Amino acid sequence: MVNQLILSNLITRPVRTVLSVMAVAIEVVLIILVVGLTHGMLQDSAQRTEGVGAEIMVQPQTTSLFLGFSGSPMPVQIGDRLAEVRDVKAVAPVMVQASSEGGITLIYGIDPPTFDAVSGGFRYLQGRGLQSPDDVLIDDIYAESRGLHVGQTIELLNQAFRIAGIVEHGKGARIFLRLDRLQDLMGSVGKTSLFFVKLTRPDRAGAVLEQMRELLPNYQLRDMQEYVSMLVAGNIPGLSNFITVIIALAVAIGLLVIFVTMYSSMVERTREIGILKAMGASRSYVFRLVLRETAFLTVFGIAGGIGLSYGVRALVRVIFPTLPILITPDWMLRAGLIALVASLCGAGYPALRASRRDAIEALSYE
Amino acid sequence: MSEIIRAENLQKVYRIGKVEVLALRGINLRVEEGEMVGLVGPSGCGKSTLLHVIGGLTSPSGGRVVLDGMDLGQMNDAQRTEMRKQKIGFVFQRFNLLPTLTAYGNIKLASHIAGNRNGNSRAEMDAIIDMLGLRARMHHRPVEMSGGEQQRVAIARAVVNRPKILLADEPTGSLDTENSELVLNMLQSLNHRFGQTILMITHNPEVALYTDRIVSMRDGHILEGGS
Repeated sequence: MVNQLILSNLITRPVRTVLSVMAVAIEVVLIILVVGLTHGMLQDSAQRTEGVGAEIMVQPQTTSLFLGFSGSPMPVQIGDRLAEVRDVKAVAPVMVQASSEGGITLIYGIDPPTFDAVSGGFRYLQGRGLQSPDDVLIDDIYAESRGLHVGQTIELLNQAFRIAGIVEHGKGARIFLRLDRLQDLMGSVGKTSLFFVKLTRPDRAGAVLEQMRELLPNYQLRDMQEYVSMLVAGNIPGLSNFITVIIALAVAIGLLVIFVTMYSSMVERTREIGILKAMGASRSYVFRLVLRETAFLTVFGIAGGIGLSYGVRALVRVIFPTLPILITPDWMLRAGLIALVASLCGAGYPALRASRRDAIEALSYE
Repeated sequence: MSEIIRAENLQKVYRIGKVEVLALRGINLRVEEGEMVGLVGPSGCGKSTLLHVIGGLTSPSGGRVVLDGMDLGQMNDAQRTEMRKQKIGFVFQRFNLLPTLTAYGNIKLASHIAGNRNGNSRAEMDAIIDMLGLRARMHHRPVEMSGGEQQRVAIARAVVNRPKILLADEPTGSLDTENSELVLNMLQSLNHRFGQTILMITHNPEVALYTDRIVSMRDGHILEGGS
């Protein structure tokens, strides 16, 4: 019966209902998409780094987990020392540089023979490998997102490069230059950002790491699995705070809209509250009625928000294919709960006020 | 018949800003179970206030009200609400139906609020609906019904939980003569068929034809018919 009363109230005031549902939906979309985007980018980055095929990654001590933000302070010669360690099959120096052309994209400066030795080589969808210093390889997703083909010229780091080949995505970056060319461009001749190390026996990664740590005590050596597991929002400086701020903003939107909606609704329905009280409805009955109506609105808003999130993700995939959005059941649930709690908090005061209305005053309300 | 309403030296003072308004000035009233009593008097004489105090919608400033043996003065707000839910049914001049619900929804909601504790059986509810001539209007909203029909729904809603007392505040005040007679006849039928105790405020000059007794009020006092 209460549900019938609530639904009839919602149907009778469609504009108010739609606005409230939309506010909650926007709140949910904001949370799901911001978290989905950050997690998606991290997961994408982790998968592509893992896709290189190395078992160990060597970086400078103070480097960032996010590749491309740390420069290139390691001498390339370190690679020779790493290659001498037992069970090491190949060592590939890679210079990582972030490019901001058309969104932030990582560029790998690679030495093709060693990179192929570690990664097993690219799968070419079009064209060939890096030969001249002005050659560039791009992956298929980057090529598709920008409509690029082999032979075209693209501008990277304020320089023109000719697309020599399009490779299957998944091996580190989306753009590859020759290591010596990138070193030259960045003024870091003889330097590299990291080394990928391939082992003859991956099961001996622990032992190899121990030997390498003795050899290079001032460097950061990580098992690739460990590195991938560390690529979460909590380990990226400021990212958790950013997510928290966005969630707080979303909660504020939802809470305020629900507060205003329910408050104005309760004022508008003062007489109805008086009627309910005259019929014997207790304070808690009225309080629960308002919260339940809010919960109805919120549930519709959550469902709409989740649906809208998938819609936005589909749209982003078309417009920005390199922007991965990861929507997980975990965060759908969290976003829903956050929206529900925010809505109930927003409706709390209007509900309390309604429940405390004097029946006679309410009945005489015009 | 046993006494079901007793008001003793009942007083009610309203404060409007710094001005005190004496709405009830020592009311003494007794109503027996199964009685139908008409409360008459000029506007502002305290009739509605008396009904609200008896119905537990507001507390008296002095004196006491005993309903079915229970002293309202000894009850807190929650207990008064519970008492109202179980023992009182209200009918208002302006019908006060919930506009978003159908006639059936309005009646059913009253039953739901009462927790269906002492509600009419389905057969009794059907009898009330038929007696009030509402069978064909059950799925209509208030806005789709005439004033007379709305008031009949309000009466059905008020009695669906078998309250011991029905308090009606000018139930015919917004109706034309024909519908007024219809509503008064129906209240009388409820009183005769189901033994419903009714205390009714009215301006209808023919009220004496329908009630067992008339109580006259003026300036917060009962002039005659209080017991």
